[in-house]
Amino acid sequence: MMTSGAISVTDLTVRYGDKTILDDISTEIPHGQWTCLIGPNGAGKTTFLNVLLGITPYSGSLQDRGIEVFRNHRRNIAFVPQSPAIPQGMTVSEYVTLGRAKRDGWGKESQKSRQIIHDILIQTSLYGMQKSFVSQLSGGEMQRALIARALAQEPDLILLDEPTSALDLHHQISVLNKIELLKERGVTIISTMHDITLAAMYAERIVVMQKGKILLSGRADQVIHSSELRSAFDNRIDVYTLDSGRPVIVASKDDIR
Amino acid sequence: MKDTSSVVIARIWNWRITAICGLLLAIVAIAAVSFGPIHIGFVQVFKTLVGFPDGLSNQSQTVIMQLRLPRVVLGALVGAALATSGAVYQTVFHNPLADPYLLGAASGAGLGATIALTSTHHNVVALLPLFAFLGGILAVLTSFFVSGKFFAEPNTLLLSGIAVGSFATAIQTYLQQRHTAQLRPVYSWILGDLTAASWNVVAWSSIYIAIALIILFTVAKQLDGLMLTDGEAFSLGINPNRLRILAVGAATLATATAVSASGLIGFVGIVVPHLVRGVTRRVTNRSLVSIALVGAAFLVLADLGARTLLSPAELPIGVITAFVGAPFFLFVLRNRRKANIS
Repeated sequence: MMTSGAISVTDLTVRYGDKTILDDISTEIPHGQWTCLIGPNGAGKTTFLNVLLGITPYSGSLQDRGIEVFRNHRRNIAFVPQSPAIPQGMTVSEYVTLGRAKRDGWGKESQKSRQIIHDILIQTSLYGMQKSFVSQLSGGEMQRALIARALAQEPDLILLDEPTSALDLHHQISVLNKIELLKERGVTIISTMHDITLAAMYAERIVVMQKGKILLSGRADQVIHSSELRSAFDNRIDVYTLDSGRPVIVASKDDIR
Repeated sequence: MKDTSSVVIARIWNWRITAICGLLLAIVAIAAVSFGPIHIGFVQVFKTLVGFPDGLSNQSQTVIMQLRLPRVVLGALVGAALATSGAVYQTVFHNPLADPYLLGAASGAGLGATIALTSTHHNVVALLPLFAFLGGILAVLTSFFVSGKFFAEPNTLLLSGIAVGSFATAIQTYLQQRHTAQLRPVYSWILGDLTAASWNVVAWSSIYIAIALIILFTVAKQLDGLMLTDGEAFSLGINPNRLRILAVGAATLATATAVSASGLIGFVGIVVPHLVRGVTRRVTNRSLVSIALVGAAFLVLADLGARTLLSPAELPIGVITAFVGAPFFLFVLRNRRKANIS
């Protein structure tokens, strides 16, 4: 699996009608690392993720290992949306098996895939629920099913839009730990996250976005303590450092009316 | 491994259901050929169908081969087309109540048929199926263009389908009122009937319906991807818009053909997919072949009822499908809620 190289974004602009969602951004996202996109609502994080996935048209250039990404099906990429559609009448096992469709063909399942899915179901604590309908899963279980399907794809790159927003504190950590395991396999992880504390805990790199522009990107520890991060949130956040050295970022209570 | 065996069982179960549906269709079809003003025994019908009509009068052979069989075959084709299209529309639009007439196909075909029936030229009346077919296709295309982008917003498409449908119905009603002499044939066509069935009608409609069904069966498994968001579908290797256009295009071709051959037969496209799903408990598009077979059997049976219940008079087949379909649909809905698979 290739871990070298990077995703290069050059003068990338996305417009819907006369509204500019991403405004002439340029950056490099290294492979094999976890990069987290943070910023206030409306910063363009989800759009950037959709552009990276290859479904949103753009002007400028966005190349993944030298390949222009728009509508490019050659890339091996997994996508975990913030609000997934819940297919009626589909079992957990069938749902996770969709992750193998690109390898085995639709509606087919190789012996190897069966073994892989068996292992993934155990790994994501979904084993025993194979025959449950995905429509009956709780928020946390559904998120695990999404992650399981993404794992089944054995992707080179995984894009996650707010992977923890529907989860309680315990499940947030549990899901993020499972995603983090992907790094051992050389998978590139790009996620958006509202919780900057969690972003700082897991991501190596953080990209701070505001109003369709990239304000700052770099190593997580540097970005967290930078003044640009504060200004992205209009100085309405406080950064504390715990005794363990871990940063904790919270909204400033007094500034919010 | 427990997991492997459960997958294999699920597959056999599915094939078993498909085989049972096929058997059901065969039995219903033989019964439908057998019953009528002249009763012909099952065995003799079967023998005639496989090419050994020994002992059967020429008159009975003609009744089987020229009157009843084309009607049964056409009923099966129309039923399969409507049920499969309904299932595909429900999957593509994420809407369990979607039916094949949703995008204006029915109203457009109704308008086309009314234009043909109210025309003063005798030649045009003979072209009724063509008019209905073009009307249906044109209405669906108009819905697409009125809604702006293809599938950018499925609900906008559904709403424009409703608007186009209402517009076509308005013109159709106007034409109907202007030509009251033709009121009866127009009305009877709208309620659906298979009385016009002949090998000629079977021949042309089977070509279009076969093309549409082959396309739909081929992409059936991929339709799983359309139950997800477009981003997920794309990451799984699907071009969601291309697949939607292909699926809806094929379903519309099947629907327009069915409507032009037999008029507007309601309820099959909604009831049958839900019925099959209630039994198989599988995702709709994974049971598409079974849905087609049950749709065919359902309509052949409904037509048998339509021509025998008040014999020698005929009931419109749409009356039968709704009369039987509606209560049955409610029954399935109640049970499905109990099983909590909705």
